[in-house]
Amino acid sequence: MYKNYKQNPQTNYPPRSIERLSDGACIPFDPANTDYANFKREIAAGTAEVQDADGQPMAAADAKAYVAALP
Amino acid sequence: MIVINGSTGLTLPNGNVITSATVSANSGTAALPNYTGTDTDTGMWFPDVNAVAISTAGVERLRIDSSGNVTGLTLQSENVSPYSGRNRIINGAMVIDQRNAGASVTPTDGQYSVDRWKTSLNVASKFSLQQSTTAPAGFINSLLATSLSSYSIGAGEVTGVQQLFEGLNVADLAWGTASAATVTLSFWVRSSLTGTFGGSLRNSAANRSYPFSYTISSANTWEQKSVTIAGDTSGTWLTTNGIGIQLYFSLGAGSTFSSTAGSWQSGNYISTTGAVSVVGTNGATFYITGVQLEKGTVATPFEFRSFGQELALCQRYFEKSYDTTTAVGTATRVGTVDWNFANMGTYGVVNIFYRATKRSSATVTNYDPDVANTVGLRYWNGSAEVQGTGSRDGWYGSQNSSRWALGSTPQSNAVFHWTASAEL
Repeated sequence: MYKNYKQNPQTNYPPRSIERLSDGACIPFDPANTDYANFKREIAAGTAEVQDADGQPMAAADAKAYVAALP
Repeated sequence: MIVINGSTGLTLPNGNVITSATVSANSGTAALPNYTGTDTDTGMWFPDVNAVAISTAGVERLRIDSSGNVTGLTLQSENVSPYSGRNRIINGAMVIDQRNAGASVTPTDGQYSVDRWKTSLNVASKFSLQQSTTAPAGFINSLLATSLSSYSIGAGEVTGVQQLFEGLNVADLAWGTASAATVTLSFWVRSSLTGTFGGSLRNSAANRSYPFSYTISSANTWEQKSVTIAGDTSGTWLTTNGIGIQLYFSLGAGSTFSSTAGSWQSGNYISTTGAVSVVGTNGATFYITGVQLEKGTVATPFEFRSFGQELALCQRYFEKSYDTTTAVGTATRVGTVDWNFANMGTYGVVNIFYRATKRSSATVTNYDPDVANTVGLRYWNGSAEVQGTGSRDGWYGSQNSSRWALGSTPQSNAVFHWTASAEL
């Protein structure tokens, strides 16, 4: 299970990482990062869920589209 | 044999006497060199075409190959070698244990025990791993695997530990090309079991494998093993910051992942057919240390690096705020990030710079410094310091730093530990 971070309202930097809820780890959107590769693989395979920044689960199709747009 | 003047031998002008000489038509061996004195296991021989070697006491000490490369030379000064940096293994002496600080773990797949040694399994809770102080002479640590049951491994099951080499660190081996270099793997091993054990080298896609075997002859006795492996001229071998080579020591593997030792094969194999299964005997122990993978055909003495050097190499892949000998998740304020700010308003931000540049942008985790093994932090909520995560937004990781931002919940300070992982 993963969750998106909220955008920082002061800097307006878009989140460049995602939270792994099982251990609170912050995983960067870096294709060379092993955890990030696992995240993308799990979402593509439909074996994990992504929540939006408010904690609402994204539909599987939306999650796949979201991940497909990431680096 | 030359005999002149009966038993006297051949007297030279300087008074020396040659009593016997042996000239062999073959190339000789380390144990029986071609050219010797009266000591027949010490001398010069010819291990290959256009190559020459010297052995003493039946052991090869020096070799010059057809290209003029010299291998196996050990200087008189102990533990000093002209080949600094030859060991491609990081933490081969098992001295760095940042995560667990010597504590035993029953690992899940992908979990680390000592640094750089990654658990591989698809069947849970069959063995534990721990940094051990049982070690052969000259070493202070080993990695200990202990079987937790008498488990009959299934055909598609695997258990073991592996080290994944970053492609950038093995690019010079030129594997996957006609120039693929030969490597030699050496290690010290000890087990309560005897017999033939297995392991393998694989590429990142795990579709090229070289299963190897080694024999432990005596139970509960340290033995040094070496395996020389001709480089793979086929397959795809990454030379990037991805996985270059996977080295696997099996603790038990099913038939699907086992094959014949001693050759490169297409497929995913991590052990050899019929190898001893450590997890098959309840309480069985398996220790390993002094692991070295080097270019060339000879196992040279283990390359000891200083503790600081070894730690720095490990920190390219994993780093923490805790002291070196403090396990991650320990309740302690030693080493915390103490982030004090006043009138923060909506957000506060702090950057943490790593000691070592990471292989990739790192996965970061923060820990409550006062509650053991709890993800989170301590913060001041306006009237008391409480445990929580704050409203963590926009944490940006890079190879060199993490940028930590808290939301509006913490009002004036936050305290936490952190880890950064860029493991393969």
